[in-house]
Amino acid sequence: MPPVKIYQEDQIASPTMRVWLNFSANPFALAGLWTIAFLLLLTLFGPMIAPFPPEAQDPRALLLPPSWDPSGTVAHFLGTDDLGRDIFSRLLHGAHLTFGMALLIVVTALFTGFIIGSLSGMMRGLKSSILGHLLDALLSIPSLLMAILVVAVMGPGLENVFWAVGIALTPQFVRSIHQSVHEELQKEYVTAARLDGANSMQIFWYVIMPNVWEVVIIQTTLAISAAILDIAALGFLSLGAQAPSPEWGAMVAQGMDNLLTAPWAVTIPGLAILFSVLSINLVGDGLRSALAPIRN
Amino acid sequence: MFKYLLRRLNLFLATSLVMVGVLFYATGLFPVDRTHALTGIHTPTASQLVQIEQDYKLDKNQAWQFIAYLQQRLSGNLGISVTSHQEVAEELSAVLPASFELAVMAAIIAICFGVPLGVLASQSQHKLTQNTIMAITLTGYSVPVFWLGLYLSLWFGVDLGWLPISGQINLLYEIKPVTGFMLVDTLLSESEYGMSAFKDALLHIILPATTLAVLPFTVVVRSTRSAMMNVMNQTFIRAAEARGMHTSTIILRHALPNALIPVLKHLGLMLGSFASYAIVVEMIFSWPGVGSWLVSGIYQRDYTVIQGGILAVALLIIFLSILIEVLHTVFNPLSRKDLYATS
Repeated sequence: MPPVKIYQEDQIASPTMRVWLNFSANPFALAGLWTIAFLLLLTLFGPMIAPFPPEAQDPRALLLPPSWDPSGTVAHFLGTDDLGRDIFSRLLHGAHLTFGMALLIVVTALFTGFIIGSLSGMMRGLKSSILGHLLDALLSIPSLLMAILVVAVMGPGLENVFWAVGIALTPQFVRSIHQSVHEELQKEYVTAARLDGANSMQIFWYVIMPNVWEVVIIQTTLAISAAILDIAALGFLSLGAQAPSPEWGAMVAQGMDNLLTAPWAVTIPGLAILFSVLSINLVGDGLRSALAPIRN
Repeated sequence: MFKYLLRRLNLFLATSLVMVGVLFYATGLFPVDRTHALTGIHTPTASQLVQIEQDYKLDKNQAWQFIAYLQQRLSGNLGISVTSHQEVAEELSAVLPASFELAVMAAIIAICFGVPLGVLASQSQHKLTQNTIMAITLTGYSVPVFWLGLYLSLWFGVDLGWLPISGQINLLYEIKPVTGFMLVDTLLSESEYGMSAFKDALLHIILPATTLAVLPFTVVVRSTRSAMMNVMNQTFIRAAEARGMHTSTIILRHALPNALIPVLKHLGLMLGSFASYAIVVEMIFSWPGVGSWLVSGIYQRDYTVIQGGILAVALLIIFLSILIEVLHTVFNPLSRKDLYATS
């Protein structure tokens, strides 16, 4: 039963509620959010529900097409690759390597970038300039070149992807947070708060940050999609995840030998990457347009 | 304005210096001998060893070594490649033009198709047209480039057989490199097959350039659209409408020049991602550019090639992004307002 309306005046939704209402009015963004929730579940529980271990080879089922093909079987739902490994199970096992790893990298980069960016944004003069621009030099090295540098130093491997992509992403967070904190700091409501006797810490947390969170959120969605694409590209170039690993980009690279006879071994992991990045971009777009009326 | 340029130059120098510093630090971490990592000579003779020690000041402390490193690299001494025993600088100058050629073609494709489509998306009243264009750009933004490249080459190269899928030109043609740009060189060459070589080179560049253009294209469409929507709401557009001007005149002469300024800025911010894309595209289509050269360098642990390539690409990106910022300021008097005020 809906609550009885006693009073005449309308209820005014809180800002967060308004963002949510704006966001959920867009069906595509909502679909993206559901996909992300689904992917998160797969990341956590994928290995448990996978019917086969990721490296189990079945010599009687080499290059089996997906089950909707007349010659496919339901036992191997999405078919098998040239070593008879079940693609569906590998996708499930790979979810935490591609998607989970991307989340981990972004959270780490966000944390570091947030600290450096807000510190340099709140400071003035040379100190702020040095802290803020120091990492700009790293920004000019593309993420793939950074990965090549890291691989040259530490050798290939999935752990090194963490460092390569993390080092490439952190300066972006530093720059955007530095800029928006700096911009807000010039505004008059901050001066008003300062005249009311707020100290720097209070100004930062209670006055400026509520206006910066939106930038952080949007930057985070952008970074997650960039991180997934980077991890997959490194896996594809076999600079990241190495051959037997079920990381999605590496799966594309492993399926490439049989591209002409068994295109599904390339198509399916590629589609998995495409849809996960697409869902994140849909949510990012939805968030941006939901936040736009508040930001302007 | 002079002061502004000076400050940008300062920023360029400082950023490049930090970048070289990062590279110098990484060189020290490479899992080989320091002399090998610096010069690429695997087993130097005694006289070479003395020379290296002198050049790179290996007997002094880190600061001196960094200065010596900077001196050597800036004077064009990038060492020799471990695998081919060629000068890295020479190899670099051979592969750079090919990458430029690909990048220029991709930029032309992206801008020629992206700007009109962005204007169309902002002006169209149909929900369907708008949604279709947005769906296409969002997909283009999300698609993993290696997968897209593989599929394009599978469709157009193998299944349909329309386009060649690897290399810059058919190996049957012998073209003398003059400028390094294959399309220009084939036109300049005096052989009787010049014209057919040009056609062949053009066919070779279509697929990689299209693949590489996908990301810039989506960025151009999306930023043109949002900038046009912004501009069209402004009062000077309404004034132009009130004067009875034709819609196409308003869009082409009044709105578009203003809308392209933020597009330029967006493109400048995405340079790094474009470079990452270009490396993968060059790998897939075996394009003889910097990207595939660098990746084969890392497969062979060719440390001098890695350093030289990263140095060249990063310097280019720093330079281009600062150039775009300066151009942005030149074209947009509004951004000059807060030029001298804050950092």
